[in-house]
Amino acid sequence: MADVHLRHINKCFGPIEVIPDIELEIPHGSFTVLVGPSGCGKSTLLRMIAGLEKPTSGAIEIGGTDVTGFEPSARGISMVFQSYALYPHMTVAQNIDFGLRLMKMPTSEREERVKDAAKRLHLEPLLDRKPSELSGGQRQRVAIGRSIVRNPKVFLFDEPLSNLDAALRTQMRVELAELHQSIGATMVYVTHDQVEAMTLADQIVVMNAGRIEQVGPPMELYDNPQTEFVAAFIGSPKMNLLPGQAIGRDDIKSVGIRPEHLETHMENGKWAARAGVIENLGSDTVVYMETDDFGSVTVRLPGHHPLRTGDRVFLTPDEKHLHLFGKDGRKIHAKDALSAPAT
Amino acid sequence: MTSKTFLRNLLRVTILCVIASFVIAPLLATALGGFKTNAEIRTSAFGLPESWNFEFYNAIASDPAFWRYLGNSLLISVLAVILTLLVGAAAAYVFAQIRFFGSRMLFSYLLLGLMFPFATAILPLFIQVRDIGLLDSYWSVILPQTAFGLSLAILLFRTFFEQLPRELFEAAYVDGCGYIRFFWRFTLPLSTPILATVGVFVFVQSWNNFLLPLVMLNSREAFTWPLGMMQFRGEFVTEWNRTLAFVTLTIMPAIVFFLAAQKYIVAGLTGGAVKG
Ligand SMILES: Nc1ncnc2c1ncn2[C@@H]1O[C@H](COP(=O)(O)OP(=O)(O)O)[C@@H](O)[C@H]1O
Ligand SMILES: [Mg+2]
Repeated sequence: MADVHLRHINKCFGPIEVIPDIELEIPHGSFTVLVGPSGCGKSTLLRMIAGLEKPTSGAIEIGGTDVTGFEPSARGISMVFQSYALYPHMTVAQNIDFGLRLMKMPTSEREERVKDAAKRLHLEPLLDRKPSELSGGQRQRVAIGRSIVRNPKVFLFDEPLSNLDAALRTQMRVELAELHQSIGATMVYVTHDQVEAMTLADQIVVMNAGRIEQVGPPMELYDNPQTEFVAAFIGSPKMNLLPGQAIGRDDIKSVGIRPEHLETHMENGKWAARAGVIENLGSDTVVYMETDDFGSVTVRLPGHHPLRTGDRVFLTPDEKHLHLFGKDGRKIHAKDALSAPAT
Repeated sequence: MTSKTFLRNLLRVTILCVIASFVIAPLLATALGGFKTNAEIRTSAFGLPESWNFEFYNAIASDPAFWRYLGNSLLISVLAVILTLLVGAAAAYVFAQIRFFGSRMLFSYLLLGLMFPFATAILPLFIQVRDIGLLDSYWSVILPQTAFGLSLAILLFRTFFEQLPRELFEAAYVDGCGYIRFFWRFTLPLSTPILATVGVFVFVQSWNNFLLPLVMLNSREAFTWPLGMMQFRGEFVTEWNRTLAFVTLTIMPAIVFFLAAQKYIVAGLTGGAVKG
């Protein structure tokens, strides 16, 4: 078993408290993605799991063992870095082999494992090359190869795809998902890209300013964001957040509605608006509108749509899919919402 | 337009040629002088010899004392280079990798050595070396030379080591590689340019050093080539051709060493070419 437990983790860099107090459970075999804006402490958290950074207080358990004081190599983890951090003076084979060599593993087994990893990642023809002779995607594979040969209990990834171009990123995303399915080990993955988080994760941890906003499966976060921050962060195009007055409520901070939960009408509806930029994606159409009273709103319409820039339209939200957020930014649950005065 | 660039290039080449000739002409005159008769040296110092006399070169090359001097110089210089590189790199590695109390003060203290003229230190150095009992041994020259080479070495090494990406160490650390192994397996192999640069610098300084061996070494068996040359010149005061032949032969190793390391030096001076 290789579940990871973070117990009351606190981390300060000198006088600056980066992570006040985090409690997190990462189940065995899960693909957990830590997601949040840049600088919110994701890398710091991951590096504490890896042992590259010591928590100021709190404990880290991997597979039931308290590893807080352990060296990284003794924790049964491996890590893939954003810059790949390949060893520039070693060949691909030596890069992959290096950790095994340090484990004092017998040669025959080492060769076996390197061959295995190379095969799995399609690196066989590249084994004798130096990292400088590889493309970005190939380097990424070597970095992954280097971590899988060690047979770790927990894989750690720190924004591994952010240096790749868009097409390659999509491809590597699929390969990572396949890797997780075939190995079945626990994986912890850091990214600031919510699309990566949504597509890869079976558990997403949304972080903001050193705090956990919400933990849950992607669809739960999408359908049921517990805070305004999560609502705005998860989903693309972003959820519309309008002031409470939009639904006649002055006692709440904002009301959220996803772009696909807005209906457009030419004659009547709740909010009057004017169509701005229109993006035709084929499968659906995204329209950026300016409402008369509540700022801009994004609407997603299925299929092709005859709407043109400058058209006057009326928008009506689907009441079932309204998300109400109180003054503290937290969700107001449906039953509280119902008891509120109707519009 | 093109004539303008042509003129500019012409000017550039001319200036480079003039500067190069300042360096090459004396070397050439020295090498050629070894083939000339004394009378000819006086009348045409820079021209080609009328007849190529190999006797002076031969005489020196067949003199066992000459090889003795050369061997001593080589041993001293090579050991000074190895020691400077190892100690300097190890110290710089600590400064680059680890933050400890007083590290900045210690570093500044080591850099003070850069401002300390060698000649001023010669008397206290002599007394110190005598008290330790190393006088007239190779170490009496090697150790001070290493010590004086360290300031520059540490300064250059630290800057270079700090440019190695931090994630490289972290990746190796996760793989189970500690600080010391990382130094041998990563830092040193990835720093060949700067090692070569400092190596050549220390080698040439040590090779040409006259004052220190003069003060420290007494017996002829331990003499380095500059001392040997003085000895030699004392014997053949008026025979400049022999002296020139002697000098030519002793410069060779330094030049060979420089040429061997040249490729790395260029990289070392342009710096920072180790992106993973
Ligand atoms: N070694 C460090 N020293 C001081 N501050 C640091 C250090 N590492 C990270 N920080 C600070 O901690 C915060 C979180 O950093 P990080 O975990 O890298 O964020 P993320 O990976 O989410 O972008 C940032 O404000 C950063 O400036
Ligand atoms: Mg980060």
